[in-house]
Amino acid sequence: MISHRDNNTQRIAALDERAEALKLKRGMGIADARAMHPMIDVVEADPEADRRLLEGLADWCDRYTPLVAIDAEDGLFLDVTGCTHLFGGERAMQDEILTRFFQQGFDVRAGLASTPGAAWAAARFHGNRIIAGGEEEALLAPLPLSALRIAPETRALLESVGLRTAGAVMAAPRAPLARRFGATLLLRLDQALGRLDEAVSPRLPVAPLSVERHLAEPVMLTDDIERLISRLSVALKTDLERRGEGARTLALLLFRVDGAVSRIAVGTSRPMREPRLIQRLFHERLTALEQNIDAGFGFDLVRLSVLSAAAFDLVQGDLTGEAEDDDADIALFADRVRARLGEAAVLKPVVVESHLPERAVKTVPFAEAPQRRAPAGGRAAPPRTAPPMTIYPPERPVRLFRSPEPIEVPATEIPEGPPMNFRWRRALYRVARAEGPERIAAEWWRQLPGEEEAPTRDYYRIEDSEGRRYWLYRQGLYSTAPQAAPPRWFMHGVFA
Amino acid sequence: MLPEVNVMAISAVARDTVFALRRQIAKIEGTLPERLEAPAAGVPADVTGPDRTIIRRGLAVASPDAFMHTGIERFDTALGGGLPRAALSEIHGLETRDAGAVAGFALSLVSLILKEKQGLPILWVGTSEIFHEAGLPYARGLHALFGIEPEQLLFSEAPKLLDALWIAEEAARMTAFAAVILEIRGSPRLLDLTATRRLHARAQSANRPVLLLRQAGEADPTAAPVRLIVSAAPAASRETVAGPLAGSIGRPAFKVDIGKSRTALPGQFTLEWNPNEHAFAERTENPVAVVPASQRGADPAPASGAILAFPALATPASGDQPSRQQHPAHRSPRRAG
Repeated sequence: MISHRDNNTQRIAALDERAEALKLKRGMGIADARAMHPMIDVVEADPEADRRLLEGLADWCDRYTPLVAIDAEDGLFLDVTGCTHLFGGERAMQDEILTRFFQQGFDVRAGLASTPGAAWAAARFHGNRIIAGGEEEALLAPLPLSALRIAPETRALLESVGLRTAGAVMAAPRAPLARRFGATLLLRLDQALGRLDEAVSPRLPVAPLSVERHLAEPVMLTDDIERLISRLSVALKTDLERRGEGARTLALLLFRVDGAVSRIAVGTSRPMREPRLIQRLFHERLTALEQNIDAGFGFDLVRLSVLSAAAFDLVQGDLTGEAEDDDADIALFADRVRARLGEAAVLKPVVVESHLPERAVKTVPFAEAPQRRAPAGGRAAPPRTAPPMTIYPPERPVRLFRSPEPIEVPATEIPEGPPMNFRWRRALYRVARAEGPERIAAEWWRQLPGEEEAPTRDYYRIEDSEGRRYWLYRQGLYSTAPQAAPPRWFMHGVFA
Repeated sequence: MLPEVNVMAISAVARDTVFALRRQIAKIEGTLPERLEAPAAGVPADVTGPDRTIIRRGLAVASPDAFMHTGIERFDTALGGGLPRAALSEIHGLETRDAGAVAGFALSLVSLILKEKQGLPILWVGTSEIFHEAGLPYARGLHALFGIEPEQLLFSEAPKLLDALWIAEEAARMTAFAAVILEIRGSPRLLDLTATRRLHARAQSANRPVLLLRQAGEADPTAAPVRLIVSAAPAASRETVAGPLAGSIGRPAFKVDIGKSRTALPGQFTLEWNPNEHAFAERTENPVAVVPASQRGADPAPASGAILAFPALATPASGDQPSRQQHPAHRSPRRAG
């Protein structure tokens, strides 16, 4: 028995058959139930966990159709249009789904109809019926109003005027109904009867292409899965070729015999259709995930889907067949590293127009970076991305710290001058030479209204007594105001 | 590891044995037996003539382009022809704060490589630790100093050393990268002889250099044929029309020690990087003469770059015993800070 807290009292939210046999009901107070039957077992409701379970079941139902939607707290819509023949007809399919759920330990009722509304009512009020097209009205007419999926308030209003079955509502004139009870009632009615289309919005985007293989004997070993991937990707290749596309995102779905589903996705930085390459990408991903995938008693259905695809431009090789495409090699390399180590494993700097050193270069994952154009013919130097601002560009360090590190500066020769020595990471450095300052002001156009203006930075190139060169800056200026704090110093980078 | 012999003191009786041994070592080291010959005492021998061919492992004759010339004759000679083009090379920094100099030196080498392989990208692999400690490569600075365009640079940050090694190994076997830089900190056990040998073998078969940057690391045994120890050197002043500008910081300068090389010749060099010409220059007006030329006025060193990188080669008192510096540098225990 499951309890939930409602209006400061523990009430029964759900209960099993044995509890029902004890004449307990939903909505009854837990205290009353305990008084009647002290031995009952009460568990606190956990809507989060229920939701997760339902999502897991929805994932598992993906094996029947890609269009699976979650309905409220306890239902699943499966749009099986065009899928039933794969399982031997409607009846056979429904039986298989019910058997499988029963074996997993769920009490499931199903209804199959040509409209979602009728199927909903059939599942809840008839149990395991298949309603042929056109029979919806006959099905719904004798059912109570709750079969119409309407709000409880509307239902109470309808009952108060004597309309107690769906058939009575159907027989009543439409205009007064709509005026009095709102448009939703008629909408639901029309949808259930098939006069209006109702779209089931699937939980997951439907993959444009997918290939799958049902296995008589479940597989458990990673090697077997990889072999299956290469077989599936061969089948995928012909489909992709027909569409003139290559895959950008691929997902591998592993359906475990006991209902759990593992979903493994890999991204590619350029469209891909070669089975060997697809298999290599999944090899890296599976290697990285080896510990996280629990094969349990094995997987009995393996599906490879293309989640997104892009136009694939064919490249003609030369007659020797030795044309090497460096960019493609690098893209594949980056994809493999990404498959194993995550999105940000291979980064590329992108130059941005900004004076602030940390903003001037943005690092983006390789797949999102603008692709380098292959130099035509011989290896010409790549074109400049941005023209130099001046003939003598300002000196910039070879390494920049992630965030400027605060340093202690005990003394400067003159207030606005370079430091004489400084302490960085607890070591004292004596300044031998200094160049600067180079003043870089904050970008006022990025400043939010009302925000205080960020202090300017005075950058100095420093060489310490051992010849190491650093890039320091002083944030702000020295002030003559009595309470003003002295400006702070930061280490921002190191020079070669 | 290379087998070690001391061929300094040769008695007449053992001459034949020594000669046989020397051949064997030469075979292992991939060089000609003459190269291992001890320089006769007192005469600064020209160890490598320009016409010597170098024999690589497997006794295949390698062309002189197996080496990349740094442009500094003395440095190339000490390395036995230059930096190997298709190999793992180690570049050490003694302390993490030298990371700027180490990175700068490695990038100058990359810049030299890119002169021939224009447009090819480079990959910089590092652990999160080193990128956090020493900073990320800054594309703007790289472009100005070394001519490496931002779109040529790819870098990869691996949370663990194992992942960094895997990335570097995968990248080292590709020919699409002009060079692969692997940067780590300290002396982890994972980066042992086997791991470096794998990197080295891949670099050899792909014919691309792999630079192993180790910050604050010990001189552990590795499969890299060359190890250079780099630290920062005070930069020269900026040159102006009116002469050097006092108090200014000019071109980057590096102090380079040869820790290990095929020739086992020690040497210390102060190299200056010219960002305009993308070339090295050796600084000679070093206040401390690291490698003195011939100390006898009567017998000056030959002019055409045949100065031997032996410091204090034949001091009269030293006799047959090799001086401390004359030991191959990789044998002496090196203090790392």
